[in-house]
Amino acid sequence: MRARYPDSEGLVVRGGVEIHYERYGDGWPPILLLPAWSLVHSRHWKMQVPYLARHFTVVCFDGRGSGGSGRPADPSAYSDAAFALDALAVMDATGVGSAVVVSVSRGALWALRLCADHPDRVLGSVFIAPSALLVPPLAERRVQRFDEVIGDPVGWQTYNAHYWKMHYPEFVTFFVGRIFTEPHSTKQIEDVTGWGLETDGETLAATDRALEGSDAAAPRRLAAQLAGPVLVMHGTQDAVRSYGEGEALAGCTGAPLVTLAGAGHLPHVRDPVRVNLLIRQFADGIRR
Amino acid sequence: MRARLPDREGVVHRDGVRVAFEVFGQGEPALLLIPASPITHARSWKGIVPSLARRFTVVTTDGRGTGRSGRPRTPECYKPAEVTADLLAVLDAAGIDLAFLVAHCHAVPWALCLAADHPERVAGLLAIDPAVGVAPPHPHTVESEQRWAERVNSPSGWAMRNRHFWRQDGGYREWIEFFFGQQLPEPHSTKQYEDTVGWALDTDAEAMIAEREGRSAPAGRQAEALCRRVRCPVRVLHGSDDRCQPVARGRRLAELTGGDLVVLEGAGHLPHGRDPAKVTRLITGFIDMITGAPMHTTTWTRGPCRPRRALYLSSPIGLGHARRDVAVAKELKGLHPELEIDWLAQQPVTTVLEAEGERIHPASRWLASESAHVASEAAGHDLHCFQALRRMDEILVANFMVFQEVVEEGCYDLVIGDEAWDVDYYWHENPELKRGQNVWLTDFVGYLPMPDGGDREAFLTTDYNAEMIEHIDRYPWIRDRAIFVGNDEDIVPETFGGGLPAIRDWTTRHFSYSGYITGFTPPGPDEVAPLRTELGYRDDELVCVVAVGGSGVGQALIDKVVAAYPLAKKAVPELRMIVVTGPRIDPAAFPQHAGLELRGYVHRLYQHLCVCDLAIVQGGLTTTMELTAARRPFLYFPLGHHFEQNFHVRHRLDRYGAGQCMDYATTDPDLIAAQIAELAGQPVSYRDVETDGAARAAQLIAELI
Repeated sequence: MRARYPDSEGLVVRGGVEIHYERYGDGWPPILLLPAWSLVHSRHWKMQVPYLARHFTVVCFDGRGSGGSGRPADPSAYSDAAFALDALAVMDATGVGSAVVVSVSRGALWALRLCADHPDRVLGSVFIAPSALLVPPLAERRVQRFDEVIGDPVGWQTYNAHYWKMHYPEFVTFFVGRIFTEPHSTKQIEDVTGWGLETDGETLAATDRALEGSDAAAPRRLAAQLAGPVLVMHGTQDAVRSYGEGEALAGCTGAPLVTLAGAGHLPHVRDPVRVNLLIRQFADGIRR
Repeated sequence: MRARLPDREGVVHRDGVRVAFEVFGQGEPALLLIPASPITHARSWKGIVPSLARRFTVVTTDGRGTGRSGRPRTPECYKPAEVTADLLAVLDAAGIDLAFLVAHCHAVPWALCLAADHPERVAGLLAIDPAVGVAPPHPHTVESEQRWAERVNSPSGWAMRNRHFWRQDGGYREWIEFFFGQQLPEPHSTKQYEDTVGWALDTDAEAMIAEREGRSAPAGRQAEALCRRVRCPVRVLHGSDDRCQPVARGRRLAELTGGDLVVLEGAGHLPHGRDPAKVTRLITGFIDMITGAPMHTTTWTRGPCRPRRALYLSSPIGLGHARRDVAVAKELKGLHPELEIDWLAQQPVTTVLEAEGERIHPASRWLASESAHVASEAAGHDLHCFQALRRMDEILVANFMVFQEVVEEGCYDLVIGDEAWDVDYYWHENPELKRGQNVWLTDFVGYLPMPDGGDREAFLTTDYNAEMIEHIDRYPWIRDRAIFVGNDEDIVPETFGGGLPAIRDWTTRHFSYSGYITGFTPPGPDEVAPLRTELGYRDDELVCVVAVGGSGVGQALIDKVVAAYPLAKKAVPELRMIVVTGPRIDPAAFPQHAGLELRGYVHRLYQHLCVCDLAIVQGGLTTTMELTAARRPFLYFPLGHHFEQNFHVRHRLDRYGAGQCMDYATTDPDLIAAQIAELAGQPVSYRDVETDGAARAAQLIAELI
């Protein structure tokens, strides 16, 4: 059973792709919880929604490629612009003119695009463990070769399109293990693994290829232009995207950085209380 | 002493009336605190100004008719338009374009006028117990209001609110004493009562009458219309037991302005005086709600990843606690090597802590000086320490607010307070603020009245003791461990006052005993001679060390002892006297004699005390117990009116059979000289002082970790 069920839910269709969204609660400012990588769907916000919805309107949606949303095969369907336009369509469908935008991990890219192209729709932005590609990947990830055929890949080498075709579950197990570096995270690992297995390797490969064609300098440029209040939080034990990523985003936006000492890559899942309070405090600041 | 002095003072003059203001701090946004003048003035905010000023620019004003402002005597001078013009002039003079207003009682209508007529100057309004005529007044005030101008024969109670009665000899004072008795229904409010009555007597009946007759505050529809014109955010605080203004007025004000209402259950008409910690937090919370709480770059450490941490507070009054607390901390680290200890402490304690390499929390610099306050309360050989503690109220709340921020940000497992009065008092008064386990240490329990304080002082000490006992009874979980630095027999055979329990019985029920904590191990019998040589003392001389502690209080005692020196030297030719004046007293200010050495500072003074042939000291516990532990003969002079030195310490020393108690007032140089001649170098038969006190205290604390 869920702690709270949506007050309304629905689908918006953009370019033939269905996007499943949910709306909870009623209160200003609205909070838009963006999708992360399509490995997970909107249930990764399950520890935030019931609390935030007592105070604010909360809208979330399954990113294309995950959950109840469509799974287009073409990589170009997964551009940051596509996610940002999905977000706008969901805001329109839920009657949310502007919102505090909260993103996790790769969702930072969708948030930066949304803020840059539609600043009038964004009241402020919170970045949790951003993966905006502002700093080089972690040293241990340099062995990644996404499109090469690697015999018996191990570790980050399993981040590989060919491997995902046959061994997607093994990759998910490995990757989720890197997400939760905190001890005693069995339930969180089971949850995220389960969500990851609801999509498939082909779809996830398409989402990743969408990044390859993107402008590498864009995130930094967009971050520097970011308008409105910003908050960044990042775990020091993040083994997916380094803590330096959070520092860099805070640095180029001039935003305060909340260092989550001892936290891994999904602190909103592993340390929901602190993250909830930080989002609440931020949104209360917008309310002024 | 005030907890914080203004950074800037000023006056504005309007039509020949002077209006005084003070500015504290320089942060954003600015606050203007508006007192219900002239019955009170800017000092009524003393409990909240120091902590607010750490974040915001705070402007206070005395308002026309009282304090350092002028006292016009015509009603026209007190029209709302005049007062609001004053407030605007103060804002202009202070260079403030936009301010939050905090107003009390009948100052709230002024603030509403400002907010309605000058919305560009007002960011928000926080109204405390508003006297706004949007709901009926208390029935008990109606009749006196109607008969205000009538001649009433020997009125009592509310009927004393009468212009003719105020003009009678003592009439105004009688009214004020009645009025503030009504406004502080909370038990144990003696200090707030004395304060508010005192401030009300800073003005006079004529100014009060003129203000009352010129006030013309809007009522009914007019008042409602005024409230509806206010566009800024509003918060209303109202005591449920406010006998001046009914809560219905606060509730209606909040409705009409779209503001929020915080009812302070059990509070009277003066919550900013009686519950300053809560009111401060309600003000900062209101401002944060409107301006957005500042989001700082910060670190939050996952609970399981945190090192074990303790925050240690060492009472800064005298240096004695510093050494014993360092000893306890060292023992504690022996039991829990991983424990990190931060110290929230001030001069002179920090000097000892720095020398020991202890970690001093940077917020320590925000603490208002308790030792300077105590020094300011002393005169000659006299320090009324109970009254000094009462008058330290605004310093205690200011320091508590610093402490509270530190514990909320610092994730401490443990708070150890050695006579940290502020923490103990305000956590019991605001129990929802408690963080972490809490250890309370003290070396005396119970305020005792000095005989010449009469019934009033006996009443006050009993009231303070009763409040403490009620605190512990109601919230036994605030002190997780209470440690008495000593043994049960060290406790005076007295009661807490009329109808209250015996101190020793009660303490035994609520405390653990650690035994005395010396903070050092005195030299053994065969260590004394080498140490004497090392310190430069010969065997054929009788060394008398005179020490008066680090504050400026000791001058009077030194004068008397120095005057006795020639007489003593004649009687005891081998006498050598070392007088340690401390940093605040100039050694050159005393007459010179052969064999008399005056020194400002002596490194490791306790070593000298441990090997001397006689010591002459004040009645403080630490020094006298060091001498007891070192088995030295000594004369001690308790400070006048110092109940702790005169009763608690003296009782303990008597139990140890240690020291010769001297009455400063009746002791002349002849007697001192005679005592020197009699006692110097004589053997003593004191009870042994335990040396394991620090270890026992640390063990009691360690059980909580």
